[in-house]
Amino acid sequence: MSTQEITPTRSVLLEVKKKIKLSESGYKIMKMKRDGLIIEFFDIMEQAKEMRDRVVQDYEDAMKKINIALAVDGAIAVKSAAYAMKIDPQVVLRNKSIMGLIVPQIEAEAVCTPVVDRGYGVISTSAHIDEAAKAFEKLLETMVEAAEVETTMKKILDEIEKTKRRVNALEFKVIPEMKEAEAFIEFRLEEMERENTIRLKHLKKVAGAKE
Amino acid sequence: MIRRKAKANYPYAVARVRGKKRALIKQEDYSKLMMMELPEISRFLGETNYQQEMAELGGRFDGVDLIEHATYRSMARNFSNVLDFSQGELKEMISAYLSRWDYWNVKVILRGKSFGADKDSVSEDLVPAGNMDEAYLEKLNAMGCCEDIIEELEKRLSSKFPEAAVEAYKQLGKLNGIEEHLDRLHYQRMLGSITPSTRAKRLFRNFIKREIDTSNLETVFMLKMDNVCADDIMRYVVDGGLQVDKGMATRLANAEDVKAMAAELADLDFYEDIKPALESEEISLREVVDALHRYRIKETEKFSHLYPLSVIPVIDYMVHKKLEVDNIRIIARGKVSGLDHETVKGLLVI
Repeated sequence: MSTQEITPTRSVLLEVKKKIKLSESGYKIMKMKRDGLIIEFFDIMEQAKEMRDRVVQDYEDAMKKINIALAVDGAIAVKSAAYAMKIDPQVVLRNKSIMGLIVPQIEAEAVCTPVVDRGYGVISTSAHIDEAAKAFEKLLETMVEAAEVETTMKKILDEIEKTKRRVNALEFKVIPEMKEAEAFIEFRLEEMERENTIRLKHLKKVAGAKE
Repeated sequence: MIRRKAKANYPYAVARVRGKKRALIKQEDYSKLMMMELPEISRFLGETNYQQEMAELGGRFDGVDLIEHATYRSMARNFSNVLDFSQGELKEMISAYLSRWDYWNVKVILRGKSFGADKDSVSEDLVPAGNMDEAYLEKLNAMGCCEDIIEELEKRLSSKFPEAAVEAYKQLGKLNGIEEHLDRLHYQRMLGSITPSTRAKRLFRNFIKREIDTSNLETVFMLKMDNVCADDIMRYVVDGGLQVDKGMATRLANAEDVKAMAAELADLDFYEDIKPALESEEISLREVVDALHRYRIKETEKFSHLYPLSVIPVIDYMVHKKLEVDNIRIIARGKVSGLDHETVKGLLVI
């Protein structure tokens, strides 16, 4: 707000004072939100780290098991067993709010299926193939959980950045500029009052000389 | 059932399979294969019994897929050849034994069809090592839907599929009921084809019954580890086992947990063979299955020398040929997927 654009009147001064008060309370709330989000972020970062480790671990386990199944039973048997799988994993998306920030809540359904529901015959299907199927189901479930945590973490990070920019804007630009405007108006009003007093004194003096 | 039309040609068939067995990869060659890279393994196979198949399939596949398909094709040709030169009751027993490959192929076709895989891709995966020749399997593969295949199989096998299984396929697309019926049918007909008139045939019958034992044990372990209830486990137990029959299976299925189930196995003849796999803190299904597999191979080795002029040397050859194909694939796939040397060595059955 440039001082040149300001009309130095009492009503503007009152308006500016009101805005300063509002900005200061907004600043405090934003600062609290930023601090709260940072605490949330550190919590979620720990979870994300843990999830990444679990994804890596489950992936390595699943790959080892599928490689063993491919070696022992052959690619043909593994491919054929995969063809028999009839249940498609479903993902249910919901929302939850963290300090007003909407983050996704992802739930995986029908990922881990019992061996009798996998579609292939239990009697002749190799245990190696079944173990590989189970390991991949576990990996998929972990990845869905990881997707929720990672998305939440990214959203929180973006929100922290946004809130930080707003806090800084209020602290270093909006509030100082309004305070400057307030000071300018007060100064101008005082000056106008002084000018007025001098003008009145001068008029009084002129009137006294005429008499 | 066996129809005694032609006389079984045991001396000729046994002499032929002994020759074939001598041509299998030797134990010491596996150590060399373990040290080779994939192109070297391919070259090695191209210079052995697999030369023809490697050359035939070289244009369609490469790398480890070529090795897998070529070894399967070689095995299918050898088994068909054995079936061709066998006669009489020997042929019927071998035919019943090889029907496992028919059921295997039927399952590949049904699964591919239900998934919507294209005909050529399913065709590539067939291993015509049984009684159903390539033309018949292609005929099944060319059929429009699984219902038509099921109808055709009912005629060919003279066996009706359980209505519940067919209905489950129609409603939910699940093939497990159909597949389980085929597995039961295989063992039922296999046992039916062996008249226990001689000691060799009784031994062969017991060998098949032992196979049912190990298959039942594998199934019960798999389901128990998946926390399936006892009644449901019993639905998957195959009749005709030597020791793991319905009674034993019920005891195992009703055991409190896997540990308690493992303790129930102490009375089995082959307990000592699978004991190390059952003693670990957390029982691994894979280790149990591998131990059962090793036991089966040991049994074959043992009984193959007992009756030189019987079906046993022929079955022994078939088991060893399948083992060779499995071992080559394990080494090749192990190399490609970067499995460590010790894991690959542990998977091999030499």
